[in-house]
Amino acid sequence: MESAAVPAEAEGVAPGDKGLKTGALGYLSNLVIGVASTAPGYSLAATLGFVVAVAGMGVHAPAVMIVSFIPMLLIAAAYNYMNKADPDCGTSFTWVTRAMGPRLGWLTGWAIVAADVVVMATLAYIAGVYTFLLFGLDAAANNLLDVSIIAALWIVVMTWICYVGIELSARTQFFLLGMEIFALGLFAIVALVKVYAGGAPPGSIHIALDWFSPFSLPGGSTALVEGVLLGVFIYWGWDSGVCVNEESENANEGPGKAAVMSTILLVLIYVVVAVAAQAYGGLEFLRHNKDDVLSALGGNVFGSPLDKLLIIAVLTSASASTQTTILPTARTTLSMARFGAIPKAFGKVHPRYLTPDVSTLTMGAVSLVWTLIIINVSQNVLGDSITGLGFQIAFYYGLTGFACAVFYRKELFKSFRNFFMAGVVPFTGGAMLTYIFVKAFIDNKPVDSAYSGGVFGVGAAVAIGVGLLLLGVVVMVIANFVYPQFFRRKPETVDPGILEGTVKASASVESD
Amino acid sequence: MSEIVVGYDGTKGAKAALDKAVEFAKQLGDRIVIVFGYAPGGYGGGEVPTHREAVKEMGEKVTQEANEVVTAAGVEHEIELVNESGAEALSDVATQRNARMIVVGSYGESPLKGAVLGATAYRLVHVAERPVLVVPV
Repeated sequence: MESAAVPAEAEGVAPGDKGLKTGALGYLSNLVIGVASTAPGYSLAATLGFVVAVAGMGVHAPAVMIVSFIPMLLIAAAYNYMNKADPDCGTSFTWVTRAMGPRLGWLTGWAIVAADVVVMATLAYIAGVYTFLLFGLDAAANNLLDVSIIAALWIVVMTWICYVGIELSARTQFFLLGMEIFALGLFAIVALVKVYAGGAPPGSIHIALDWFSPFSLPGGSTALVEGVLLGVFIYWGWDSGVCVNEESENANEGPGKAAVMSTILLVLIYVVVAVAAQAYGGLEFLRHNKDDVLSALGGNVFGSPLDKLLIIAVLTSASASTQTTILPTARTTLSMARFGAIPKAFGKVHPRYLTPDVSTLTMGAVSLVWTLIIINVSQNVLGDSITGLGFQIAFYYGLTGFACAVFYRKELFKSFRNFFMAGVVPFTGGAMLTYIFVKAFIDNKPVDSAYSGGVFGVGAAVAIGVGLLLLGVVVMVIANFVYPQFFRRKPETVDPGILEGTVKASASVESD
Repeated sequence: MSEIVVGYDGTKGAKAALDKAVEFAKQLGDRIVIVFGYAPGGYGGGEVPTHREAVKEMGEKVTQEANEVVTAAGVEHEIELVNESGAEALSDVATQRNARMIVVGSYGESPLKGAVLGATAYRLVHVAERPVLVVPV
């Protein structure tokens, strides 16, 4: 007698049935992964100098850290609610496709991929520079060719790691993040002590309440929006923490809360470090060293060899970020392929490593080419890349915010809580990001606004950020003809039972 | 009637393991349970369900090969696709069924490569609550 293939279904092994493993990836792990994914050390290294260097920023970089956090917190609420409806966690691509139709969904997927490719260049650049600094090879760190080589190697290695599916255990993540926060915290404390007890360089300044006010920037709202566009980038990545829900204890609740908590934790880290850096180094120093603020300050604050601590923190943070960037993006293209929105090959899974191999390798290859071009076009393109990224992130986070309100629209008037939390909050987040996008677009459009001048008659940041999105529109129009099935999908609304708790959400995205 | 749990992912090692499992099943009069764990690796970042779905489909395809082999050998069997990663999937199924043993293949990789890439057999030896047989390629 034979019993034919009767797969014991996944439903039998619900989250919670997994014993120890489930406990291991609980709330705290989600939090850690959310924070680690944003890579605070690396984000600060790459961004802080540029925020300070924004024309008309003055002493208000800490205020920008706080203001940038507001739209992110609102969008975190959108993630929280979309997660309730779809706890198996699609992400922006799936959600926007379901709520707002295939065209915006497709563009969202494109924006995620574009942002990932662009960030790989800045990530690899920082990794290249800091690798040399770690070994005291300061000359090489300033040599474009040397940095390009290490940056390229970095991308190749990280792509390979994602391809073969090596992952850090939750415990290793805890350790690395702990070290990162310790290094940043120690830096902030030592810097501030030196500022007030003596030992800081001549340029150092004392903290003033005015630093935290977003209303008194010398450059007004233009400078603020420019700063926030950079700030959006430093908070980018926490969505990874939302999407580990499969392993978390309460799939429908835990991850969303962890996302909110991780955002709050991040704002603390950023504000404290920004304040310390600015007080210790002073504005001129930060502007002058905008490419690698932390390494420049680290040498001053700690002295050798303790300054290496900060460099290691940035490097580990960059590597963690690569891991939480490549795989999720490869999954986005995998998902798009399975939805029939892009070529089928991207939906392939490696038989031994079980990773989306075609997607991963393609991502790596495209990132590599992009990185080599972008690093060598101009030394200043790093700053423009980060501003450009801000456009792409604002675009897809913004759409996610709108998607939440649209997806829940039939539930909004059933209770005040629904109206506020699933409607007003995410919509406001989306509206804020839209405003930032439009305002920054107008301000960054002139060629002379960019660090590295213009491309195609617009500033480099706009060319990178908005240009890639427009390219997406063109490709989407073509895709319309190639994949008519996908583009005929109709938008859906949420199952009414989800918010009332009568229906337990399940992942029900049919890839038809 | 006892059961023999065998891990099958279509690789050379898995084929060797399956052959060995069939051999034992015939001698001992056991049933065979072919197991494939389809939980995708990596944490976070979303679109996990589609990744899982893709891996699962692949699992359905490869276990079908195993199904044919075992059917041809005339051994009673069933297939279990489990939403866990390889070693945990095998261990849990074996424990639930109080299986006689778990049979897996080695990938025939160097120990270093295995350690880096996370060899299922290596991990299984540590987590399994039932006896494990590792079949070389």
